[in-house]
Amino acid sequence: MMFRSRDFVKWADGVFEGVFRRSSLGGGLDLLTKDFFNWATRNSIYPLHFGIMCCALEMAVASAPRFDAQRFGIIYRSSPRQCDVLLVNGPVSKKLKPDLKRLYDQMPSPKWVVAMGECAISGGPFYDSYSIVPGVDQFIPVDIYIPGCPARPEALIDGFIKLQKLIKENKRGLFTGK
Amino acid sequence: MDKRGAGAPAGAIERAPTTVGENPEERTFKALLEAFPSTLTDFKKLRKGIVRARIERRDLLECCRYLKDKLGFEHISMISAVEYENRFEIVYHITCYGSCLLLELITQTPKDDPTVESVSSVWAGANWQERESYDLMGIKFNNHPNLERILLPKDFMYHPLRKDFKG
Amino acid sequence: MWINMGPQHPMTHGLWNLRIKVDGETIVDAEPEVGYLHRGIEKLCERRTYTQIIPITDRLCYGSSLTWSHLYCLTVEDLMNIEVPPRAEYIRVAAIEMQRIASHLMWLAAYAADLGMLVGFIYAMRDREIFIDLLQALSGSRLTYNYPRIGGVAHDAPPNFVRDSLRACDYMEGKIAEYEKLYDGSKVFMMRNEGVGVLSKEDAMNLGVTGPPLRASGVKYDLRKDQPYSIYPELDFEAVTHPDGDCYARYRVRMEEMRESCKIIRQAVQKMPQGKWRVLAPRIGPEGTGLGRVEDPRGEGMMYIVGNGTQRPYRVKIRSPIFVTVSAAKHMLLGYKVADVVAIMGGLDMCIGETDR
Repeated sequence: MMFRSRDFVKWADGVFEGVFRRSSLGGGLDLLTKDFFNWATRNSIYPLHFGIMCCALEMAVASAPRFDAQRFGIIYRSSPRQCDVLLVNGPVSKKLKPDLKRLYDQMPSPKWVVAMGECAISGGPFYDSYSIVPGVDQFIPVDIYIPGCPARPEALIDGFIKLQKLIKENKRGLFTGK
Repeated sequence: MDKRGAGAPAGAIERAPTTVGENPEERTFKALLEAFPSTLTDFKKLRKGIVRARIERRDLLECCRYLKDKLGFEHISMISAVEYENRFEIVYHITCYGSCLLLELITQTPKDDPTVESVSSVWAGANWQERESYDLMGIKFNNHPNLERILLPKDFMYHPLRKDFKG
Repeated sequence: MWINMGPQHPMTHGLWNLRIKVDGETIVDAEPEVGYLHRGIEKLCERRTYTQIIPITDRLCYGSSLTWSHLYCLTVEDLMNIEVPPRAEYIRVAAIEMQRIASHLMWLAAYAADLGMLVGFIYAMRDREIFIDLLQALSGSRLTYNYPRIGGVAHDAPPNFVRDSLRACDYMEGKIAEYEKLYDGSKVFMMRNEGVGVLSKEDAMNLGVTGPPLRASGVKYDLRKDQPYSIYPELDFEAVTHPDGDCYARYRVRMEEMRESCKIIRQAVQKMPQGKWRVLAPRIGPEGTGLGRVEDPRGEGMMYIVGNGTQRPYRVKIRSPIFVTVSAAKHMLLGYKVADVVAIMGGLDMCIGETDR
């Protein structure tokens, strides 16, 4: 029996649907594993290696020896398919907007968006420029806002800890999706 | 040759020879006035090492070639475009490494015809700077190898630095 | 076949796109594409007063933001014909050279991380924090300082500034020797840098390349020595060159420049006189033009400001060194392999904020 990958995904989805989502087996498994998977997710946040402007330097410094974000499990990955957080750290120009939307769409869910710095929150010092989108939440839903111009590395780490709290509050089971 | 030594002093460029009693500003002025007697005007020394001159746009390319080949101005530092009420001014800042001199060469175009010859055949470093002036101010450079928008998206309709763009 | 490297790519510090045409593994054509960070700063400056523009110029090149706000203040002081008190000049020069060391260390960290030597990233970032602390004591901020003012600096140096700067210079000179042992002793680093990305002297001058890449191709031209501004004529230091023109030469020039910067900082803080650190500048700018030129850590930065007798400038034009150096990328990339792109473009120390303005 030769499966093409599209057919395989459909078949696997069907099995999942039948065995786990509709039956009580899924609910039971979720009860056992929900907390554990949620703990793993929130302690291994992988942001995308995407630096736009000044706040990107503070993002790099947050991984440096003095502030060390890696002890919270934050490791930057280069491909959007491997990440769960999109960290927007600079002004989004009109030329960049379609590319950013494409990056966001390429990330698999569950995914979160963190707007770091004034430029990503509302346009920053360039709010009245002809080529800046005033705030990234105009076209992408944002979960955490980190103010500052540039946001200090301590503020970035605080933002990630708040994101961890947010993930903890919204626990979802892997098998039933609830 | 030991490449790992500290920065070797070899490769120092030769300074242009000076005649007694004549500094590089005066020498440049005399040479330019001899070559372009009718179109070069308004020569002024701004401060030590920086001089300014105005030239008419029909002689601009000739003057730039003369500056590079005969007077040794090897480097184009900056090309700016300024819009006034009745004209456009294009300001070229050209550096001579040999005599440490900066020449500010200003040319004018009428408001309804902002075109000027491209100097990218003289200095390749002018290529992107002219594209930027075209992109943001709308100055057209004749005979430019690739006059396209560079900073704004290709389908942007306006020239933002013009005074009538209020966006 | 055209390959798109960017705009989201770990090699590109900042957002720009490099399209290379390859024949197998060899590069036969290259086309950099910039503009993803364009904020229209030149237009924004026409809507703000002279003092309100200072924080915006900080954000032009965030890797060395003091240089750009200093350049802006120099240009406006040229336009308004203001003389800055000597104490302010010495503080400015000391701060700029600290910024230069911090910028070169940031480059070293990113360069090492790109080439696979993560140990360089960790060490360089740790040492950069020392200079960031000094600049934070001076101005109150870590990255975009908003410290120079038209007519001087915003506030005086803190009490222990001289003692801390001298300690930092002593520490740094020992560390530079350690870095040289670390990097020169790494076979991978040397293989990826020697003989790669050669730019000849004539090409460098013709293409408008300035700064460390120009000096690494053998042209001995440093604006701090050849067209000096501020108090550089009174200080004793050397412009560093290297004859080879490859990536290793650019690395060597920057390491030596850090040593020279330590020398300059020592002289500046020891010779600093007492007195005023700021004069008040007029609110309304005169009609006329002002020109400023500085030696940015990345090359030759220039600003040309046209005033029209009001509180706001009429036109502000900014020359970014990296904008022109990137246009020369094609000449440096032809004939090398795809894996060399990282070393060549990384060696130019690109900061896209100033390219796109």
